[in-house]
Amino acid sequence: MLFWLLVELWVLNVADLLLTRYSLSLGFATESNGVMDYFFKSGTVQAVAFKLGIVTVGTLLLWRVRRYRTALFAAALLTGVFAAVVAYQALWVLSF
Amino acid sequence: MPGPLTGAGDTPASPPPVAPPLSSAGVAKPHPSEARALLLTALVLLAGIALGAGGFFVERGMATWRPEVTRTTSGWRIVQAHRAPLGGLALGGDDLVWGCGPSIVLMDLRSGRLKLLGPGPASRTTWDPAASQRYVVWFEAVATNAGEASAWVYDSATRRRRQLATLGDVLSLPSASGNRAAWCTTTRGGGPGIVAVDIPSGERFSVAPEYGVPVIDGDLVTWPTRTGPTGMPAAWALVDLVQNRRWAMVPAAMLGNADFLGYDLSGRTLVWGETDPASGRGRVVAQNVDDGVGNVVAEVTGGATLAAAPSIDGDLVVWAETLAAATGSRVMGRRLGGGPSFIVRDVDGRVLSTAAGGDTVAWLAQHGQTTWIETATVPR
Repeated sequence: MLFWLLVELWVLNVADLLLTRYSLSLGFATESNGVMDYFFKSGTVQAVAFKLGIVTVGTLLLWRVRRYRTALFAAALLTGVFAAVVAYQALWVLSF
Repeated sequence: MPGPLTGAGDTPASPPPVAPPLSSAGVAKPHPSEARALLLTALVLLAGIALGAGGFFVERGMATWRPEVTRTTSGWRIVQAHRAPLGGLALGGDDLVWGCGPSIVLMDLRSGRLKLLGPGPASRTTWDPAASQRYVVWFEAVATNAGEASAWVYDSATRRRRQLATLGDVLSLPSASGNRAAWCTTTRGGGPGIVAVDIPSGERFSVAPEYGVPVIDGDLVTWPTRTGPTGMPAAWALVDLVQNRRWAMVPAAMLGNADFLGYDLSGRTLVWGETDPASGRGRVVAQNVDDGVGNVVAEVTGGATLAAAPSIDGDLVVWAETLAAATGSRVMGRRLGGGPSFIVRDVDGRVLSTAAGGDTVAWLAQHGQTTWIETATVPR
């Protein structure tokens, strides 16, 4: 189960990145995460590299400690939160 | 001689028997624990999606800027749904724009779809918007008296919003036409100045180093000068941005001691409204900016009064009158090309402002604490 949760998490992270970039380009949204805001202001390549990199490292770490049950709970929680954020953003973009 | 140990005569050794596949399609079913894992993963995803969608719709339901929108036989009716009254009506292309508290709201007249244009997260105050065929322009600031505001633009072709310019004190509302916007603000020297901005490039140029409330249409910018105590101007200042020419025009067909209601410009025609409080007489005047010839578009007498400043687009002039006998008002229109004035709509309330754009007329009305906007299409 952990494997599929981590795959889902990674895909949702890419969706979050694309939707955030599109929303920012429309001029209506602002990045409320200070770290991501810094990278988006530095450039799209930097933002993509950081966001994909940090989540890839995170998922690999979770996979490495897969024998602990906490890893599964953490992955489930992160995936749920990412799914909520992506659903909210997708509806906002569609309603716009 | 002993025979071979394989015992099958002369045939070589055959491979070990292989078990037949479990399913007829030849595809192995996932292990029950793997199917359970996939199901739980999907449940986590669905729970997250439900949470995000729920948050979106709760937030949408709590939005105070969202009005009640209904389609009418000839247009739309937009009624304030919360405490904040509607105001600052503008028509541009297929878009209707208004203010609601600090919010700037746009509605696509084709679909009725609403869009919140402003203010951005850093601002709490906005001023009434202006709209051209493609752009909506408005001001935002931290506070009304902040001494510094920013002009924002929404491009309906690209659906993008961006900051257009920064300005000092807001001395007039913005006006927009085609690819240009104009307004009055404090200049670097501290005095007032009328500026125009090319919206696509953001290039800004000075129109006149003086105070005025400008209206722009095409290449022409105009504003009233030397206004008296009733607000009636002694002259109109006119600037052609392409020819870089400025001239003045004396208003024609003026009523004595009349209160000035407001003005609008389209092409080479300037229209304004005036009302004499002593006699109750009101007048809508159209004046050609090149030859100065003025025509009375409408004369309101007999107990009725001119309720709102006229608006013009092309040859269509619209205005509002309060009725002499009944408590109500009506929106009126007239084509400058010919024909008498006509009733656009009887309104059960007081009309606060009108707008014309193409063959569409919009008006902002109030009855008690409720404000609403209606649109109608007028025949050619």
